[in-house]
Amino acid sequence: MLICNIICLIHNVEIEYTQFYNVYTIKEREIKLEHSNTLLNFENVWKIYQMGEVEVPALKGIDVGIKKGDFVAIVGASGSGKSTMMNLIGCLDVPSKGKILLKGQDISRLSESDLASFRGKTIGFIFQQYNLIPTMSAFENVMLPLEFQDVVDSIASKRTREILEFVELSDKMHNLPSQLSGGQQQRVSIARCLVTDPEIILADEPTGALDSVTGENIIKMLEKLWREEGKTIIMVTHDLNLAKYANTTIELKDGEIIRIQENCNSG
Amino acid sequence: MKLSKSLKHALNMMLHSKLRSWLTIIGIVIGVSSVIAIVSIGEGMEQSLNAQISELGGDILTITPGVSRSGDRHFRTTTASSSQATEEEIVLDRTDVQALRGIPDIDLIDTQIRKNVDVSYRDKWGSLSLTGVDQKVWSQITTEEIRDGRMLDSADQNVIVIGASLADNYFDQPLGINKVITIEGNSFRIVGILDDQSTNIIMPIQMAYQVMDGKEKDIYDSIIVKIRDEENLDAVVEKIENKLMITRHVTESNKDFTITSNVQIMEMRSEMMSSVSLFLTAIAAVSLLVGIVGITNTMFTSVLEKTKEIGIMKAIGARNKDILAIFLFNAGLIGLVGGIIGVVLGILLSGALPYLLGDMTIVRGGTVVSLNVIIFALSISVLVGMIAGAIPAYQGSKLKPVDALRYE
Ligand SMILES: Nc1ncnc2c1ncn2[C@@H]1O[C@H](COP(=O)(O)OP(=O)(O)OP(=O)(O)O)[C@@H](O)[C@H]1O
Ligand SMILES: [Mg+2]
Repeated sequence: MLICNIICLIHNVEIEYTQFYNVYTIKEREIKLEHSNTLLNFENVWKIYQMGEVEVPALKGIDVGIKKGDFVAIVGASGSGKSTMMNLIGCLDVPSKGKILLKGQDISRLSESDLASFRGKTIGFIFQQYNLIPTMSAFENVMLPLEFQDVVDSIASKRTREILEFVELSDKMHNLPSQLSGGQQQRVSIARCLVTDPEIILADEPTGALDSVTGENIIKMLEKLWREEGKTIIMVTHDLNLAKYANTTIELKDGEIIRIQENCNSG
Repeated sequence: MKLSKSLKHALNMMLHSKLRSWLTIIGIVIGVSSVIAIVSIGEGMEQSLNAQISELGGDILTITPGVSRSGDRHFRTTTASSSQATEEEIVLDRTDVQALRGIPDIDLIDTQIRKNVDVSYRDKWGSLSLTGVDQKVWSQITTEEIRDGRMLDSADQNVIVIGASLADNYFDQPLGINKVITIEGNSFRIVGILDDQSTNIIMPIQMAYQVMDGKEKDIYDSIIVKIRDEENLDAVVEKIENKLMITRHVTESNKDFTITSNVQIMEMRSEMMSSVSLFLTAIAAVSLLVGIVGITNTMFTSVLEKTKEIGIMKAIGARNKDILAIFLFNAGLIGLVGGIIGVVLGILLSGALPYLLGDMTIVRGGTVVSLNVIIFALSISVLVGMIAGAIPAYQGSKLKPVDALRYE
């Protein structure tokens, strides 16, 4: 308990420090940041894949800040680096160069297990292919993140039930993923993402495998989370119609940001 | 994640595993069941030997010509220290018996000769071990018990007592009391059947001299004595030793006879048995080793198959050690299941062994599966599983989340 408090204190101090610092470095790069509540900051981030002898730069010096409460759509052609960027935001990968600050934490400084619990508590993932564990029921899949966080069983299962209710799957919670439709599976994966009440929701083409109506429903669900729960949502999409739901669109091309566009529907 | 949760997920993983991973359990099953069966033989032998030793009471000594060192007996025929011995065969004879009579601690003395002889019954032949005993004392000194009929007594001449195996199933028809069999051309009537598992024939020594070729009268293969007080065993052994050394004109260094107590014989036998069972256990251990390799292989494949799931779990907050625990437990559980099946099979096998192996010495004592052995076998199988799973589990846990997620 005591240790937790101390860590929180250090966090806060660091957050204040880095937020202050951000304003001055980012300013030079034409990206305007409101001085407070920057949740995520990319500073000259490079990701270079080594393919044998050849180096493939997937991201080339990305600078961007994402505020708390933003709904960001990342768009761009195939191979432009969208997924690479998402992986970095989600702390699934580390940059080859540059610095990523998430809630003021330099993520490359965190140990493996700290990073894992940080990721588990702060970030929720929604994947294109749902990525549910095939041998677990919907209920078990949704509860799993809480188990990794050592949440007491009674609380965890209560929370799981509530979330499944929210995604309207109470009646299917004992089904295995294979016994659910694509849209239902995606709702399970949204429930799994929400169960830990993450600040940031990362969705890499969440509707990519769904028909347009079901996809629309999923997006509406995300929008609701954004508007009503104040979640920060970062979504990769090909579909410009879906990008309209976001308040910011970041367009990537060949690993570089070519445009950041504010949409009029902000909050 | 709590370990109990990891265990739950490991169990779930095992319940959903493919036939292939169930098949690798066979290695463990074979290993464990053979260990159980073999150890059960060992324990059976030990129990029956212990029972025999306590039954013997330890008041019987056997004196044989020649020397025995560290358990195995080799007759001293070419020892440099006594050139005489090479020319003259070392024997026990009347003088030795005479000398023993002079020791008051000795209660009874039985002289014996032994040889394999041709035996026939209704045109069937066989070569069997024949022991000639001093029938006046044999019945009091022997540890054997009579199942049917009677022991030999002093007036007996052309009669024999035979082992139960010889009586029941050596010839086509079972031999009963008063049946007559032919030994080296002479007819003998059966008066008693021993309660044992042997094919031995026992007859009065005077008759034995007549039927055995090349046995000289009053030369004995062994002298069996029963002492008055078991407590004095060691002292009496020393007395006999000293007396015989004087009458046989030998010293400690060129002693030409051996005194063995029955207790000693039993201990020797149990030592031999335990080395036999140790050897068999080693063979069983090899199959356990094969089991380890099998599980390792399965675990590598299983980690590979579950790479994507590892990535997913990491994305939703699993730490390396959570993944490690789940896979280690999974391997341990596979081992445990193999162990349980192995124990059940082993118990069945050990129950069947006495029938399968028939009259082999090693299963005479029956087989005993103790709780300790079961617990030991189960913990070994869990351990084996975990050892086998250690490297694959570690590798799986170290996967980078992004790489694991990309895996299809
Ligand atoms: N693990 C990897 N190893 C090597 N190169 C990679 C790897 N991952 C991505 N790349 C390369 O990096 C570039 C960006 O890939 P990324 O997956 O980020 O594209 P994307 O914008 O998500 O494309 P899509 O819309 O098709 O999903 C591509 O050229 C790709 O080939
Ligand atoms: Mg992509």
